[in-house]
Amino acid sequence: MKRILDIALGIVTSVGGFLEIGSIATAAQAGASFGFQLAWAIALGTVCIAFLVEMGGRFAAVSKHTIADAMRERFGVPFFTTLTVVMLGVSLLVLAAEVGGVGAALKMATGLPIPVWAIPVALVAWGLLWYTTFGVIENGVSILGLVTVAFVVGAVKLHPNYGEVARGFIPSLPKEDAAKYWFTAVSILGASISPYLFFFYSSGAIEDKWDETYLWSNRAIATIGMGFGGFLSVAVLVLAAMIFHPHNIDVEHYQQLPELLSPILGRPGFWLVVASLAIACLGATLEIALALAYLVAQGLGWTWGENVKPRQDARFCLLYTVLVFAASIFSLVGVDPLKMTQISMSLTAASLPIGVLPFLVLMNDKSYLHDHTNRIAGNIVVMFISLLASVLAIISIPLQIVGSS
Amino acid sequence: MNLVSEVLDEQLCDSKGKPAGRVDGIVLELRDDKPPRVAYVEVSPITFLSRLSRRLAWWYAPRDRRFGEGRGVPFRIPWTRLTRSGPSLQMDIDSEATPIVAVEDWLRRHIVEHIPGG
Repeated sequence: MKRILDIALGIVTSVGGFLEIGSIATAAQAGASFGFQLAWAIALGTVCIAFLVEMGGRFAAVSKHTIADAMRERFGVPFFTTLTVVMLGVSLLVLAAEVGGVGAALKMATGLPIPVWAIPVALVAWGLLWYTTFGVIENGVSILGLVTVAFVVGAVKLHPNYGEVARGFIPSLPKEDAAKYWFTAVSILGASISPYLFFFYSSGAIEDKWDETYLWSNRAIATIGMGFGGFLSVAVLVLAAMIFHPHNIDVEHYQQLPELLSPILGRPGFWLVVASLAIACLGATLEIALALAYLVAQGLGWTWGENVKPRQDARFCLLYTVLVFAASIFSLVGVDPLKMTQISMSLTAASLPIGVLPFLVLMNDKSYLHDHTNRIAGNIVVMFISLLASVLAIISIPLQIVGSS
Repeated sequence: MNLVSEVLDEQLCDSKGKPAGRVDGIVLELRDDKPPRVAYVEVSPITFLSRLSRRLAWWYAPRDRRFGEGRGVPFRIPWTRLTRSGPSLQMDIDSEATPIVAVEDWLRRHIVEHIPGG
């Protein structure tokens, strides 16, 4: 019984981890600009992150190492330093986008501009990290995050043509605006395949003291949780495709997002979008700040953990403190959260191989995983999708910059 | 034993099982007419940095001294005081008695303890 509850909570958590500012915004933009045509990008991203999260959990449960820990051990100081610098750089921008997303939700709720909210949001996020435990963060934020199911209710109520939606899952070439099409596809892939997510997940497995008896739970959580997260993203895409696309409206501001639900559900629809955005982005803020602090602390061999009092792991706690407040500076000085989201998601996609490929090497190392190394299918799927995302990103980012200037 | 894969960069923990950094470097002792022997492991940001760039380590070393006694040079643990313990190497020394946790202590005393709930 306890195990079933664990699995249920794990699924909810991984949905919460999946659906954040990046997935919501990029799916809405894709639907508005290209109808159902980019559904395949969400599917590819979801399959890849489901594999990666399952691997992260399996790695921790079998080897008792977190991923960051093993990366330092196996690949040494120069590689670990490079990985950390790249991850910190890219993820700090993602973190800034999430803080901005909470700010954008609060702006819609109160009318006060986003910069006003930067420091209060950072304070709340920091307070949750500083004063509560891993369980409170993991379960609390993710159960609240179930409010995002409203997107599915909305999408179903619109009665989309399911045949056409299904056709979107088959990758197709753009009829027009190729640069924007590929850039949007890349942003979706970057938003779905967040490296911080599997680093975070493997640390969580160690904090919760997983062993090999958790392998089945792990597989269920990764598959169902990520699958459901992807399903929610598709719902956002369907809504945008049916509400914005027919009128040639592109999503250029966060203030447009409530229109995804308010035509269908009225005033409550507006509040559901605001609440979804606020909760999903706050949850992601906590997870990213923790994931980065885990990465550094584990790689350098510090004491770390959300279940330890700050006085026992001062360096770890001060690191996430600095990260959260540094990320809030972007909103404070008025950088647009939607721009930040797009840029950070495409940079995530471009930098994927740096984290993912060495991770695959670890996942095939018998000295860590004994009989539980990767099967060939997992290796091929993850390698193919992450390289594809990276190549597409490296080609489409300059095109997008040229196109939009 | 393979020193690089089984010792270098491994997690260290102290006599109480608390994390105490990682093996940043290994010091070998060369002996006449006998094979070299592992004398110490080093735990220090100076050693860590020297694996990226000697110049960086050379620049950082005097700055490391401000963290207190024993800092400013790499801290060395005699090889004979280490044993394997699960995924980590364990030393039979309390890390509180070493300069390894000096930065942690400094941050705790000067910042964390001044924040409510710290």
